Amino acid sequence: MISKYVESASSFSGEIDHLIWLITAIVGFWFVLAEVVFFYLIIRYTAQDGVKAQYIAGDDPKEKRWVGWPHYLTLGFDVWIIIAAIQVWQNVKQTMPQADATVRVIAQQWAWTFVHPGADGKLDTPDDIRVVDELHVEKGKTYHFELQSRDVLHSFSVPVFRLKQDIIPGRTIRGWFKATQTGGFDVQCTEICGIGHALMPARIIIESHEDHAAWVMSQTPQSASLTVPATQVGGMP
Amino acid sequence: MHRMKKSHALAPAGLLLVMPLVMGLSGCHPEGAKKTLPGEELYAACKSCHGIDGSGQQNIAAPAIAGLPAWYVEAQLVKFRTGVRGAHPDDFEGLRMRPMSQQMMDTGEVKAVSAYVATMAPKKTAPTVQGGDAAAGAAAYGVCLACHGPDGKGNQQLNAPPIAGQHDWYLVSQLKKFKSGIRGTNPKDITGGQMRPMSMTLADEQAMRTWWPTSTPWRSEADPHGRRYEPRCALHDDLHPHRGGRRRLLRGGVLLRPEVT
Repeated sequence: MISKYVESASSFSGEIDHLIWLITAIVGFWFVLAEVVFFYLIIRYTAQDGVKAQYIAGDDPKEKRWVGWPHYLTLGFDVWIIIAAIQVWQNVKQTMPQADATVRVIAQQWAWTFVHPGADGKLDTPDDIRVVDELHVEKGKTYHFELQSRDVLHSFSVPVFRLKQDIIPGRTIRGWFKATQTGGFDVQCTEICGIGHALMPARIIIESHEDHAAWVMSQTPQSASLTVPATQVGGMP
Repeated sequence: MHRMKKSHALAPAGLLLVMPLVMGLSGCHPEGAKKTLPGEELYAACKSCHGIDGSGQQNIAAPAIAGLPAWYVEAQLVKFRTGVRGAHPDDFEGLRMRPMSQQMMDTGEVKAVSAYVATMAPKKTAPTVQGGDAAAGAAAYGVCLACHGPDGKGNQQLNAPPIAGQHDWYLVSQLKKFKSGIRGTNPKDITGGQMRPMSMTLADEQAMRTWWPTSTPWRSEADPHGRRYEPRCALHDDLHPHRGGRRRLLRGGVLLRPEVT
């Protein structure tokens, strides 16, 4: 149902959708039931001429159970939600499957720089492919990502992956994803990061093995020594 | 039945009445009816970085733009908007400027804000870059003279912007970007591509530090407030016998800045 509106394109997006549905169903059921009872009681016991209101202290167990039973049921459903959520958290955030490749995501006000491994499949080698605002990955491959920030807090969000992870300056935050369908999808920053926060969209391009290999070959730098790293260009002493 | 027919007949009329209201509230305009906002209003998108007076801020690497000619501001905005400038992964400041430039929604808004920036009174800029060899700098500026002019006022015919009066730290950072290929390497950046080989004539960082214009604003004609500025370029002054070149002091090869009057 959710994927009808936002496509589901990662190996764990289905799990997260299921969790959202579970929470929506439980909370929705109790919300509707509570509202039905609430309005029934308002209408049934509305003020009438000649009928004196009763003061109910809740001492009678027959009366108290109107509060007690829903309370215990709510706690029970809470436990259900927590167990389901921990399972998803464990699978998505605590477990790092073996990576087929690693990409580096560098956020700054207000752009993304994606560092892809070149033909050698390794980062930090001369054939790394750096692209602004466009991340290229291969369908069916497990990727580890390294999130870094050049300035302030950002958050790496890929809605079709149901993936969102904060980026903290000075730290490298790792995670993973595995794309399950090809296509081009949005990447967003979901942490207010300054006046241009709304102006830093990017795209993730999920390609087949052949298309991705062709892209890597077409983008591999002719010479890695043409430009110097940003760290050598930065501020004047 | 008759009532239903009447209501059907009134539906288009109702739609016509409601549509302008909806379009007005949603900010849409029929083709051709869109009004370009005045440049001063559009400048609101720029002032958080470049300042209300357009004097720039070093702490966020925003250069002074007040009084820059409209043709140059417009050209740079177009470059930023189209990714010709500010799209290199190592261009930290350019990557920040690129989305900002996209707040100008069309060519009309780019022109309007550029025209407004050109009317702003330039401010004096304080020197920040330390050290340098005046003699070497004077020789280095010889390469720049042909395009940027002896006074650093620029030359529209050659697409060379004014550089006298710009923050020295900004000029150094741009020279480094040109030299390293962060700026001027996009195949569509014709003028940047012209500048890049010029920057390559500066052998090293020390050579870049020796080169900077004075902090005198670049506007040469009387500004809207009646003030008159004399654009000058420090190293050219060194060569110019009528511009106080002799007043400069060379001590141990370090150029001491003249006082800006």
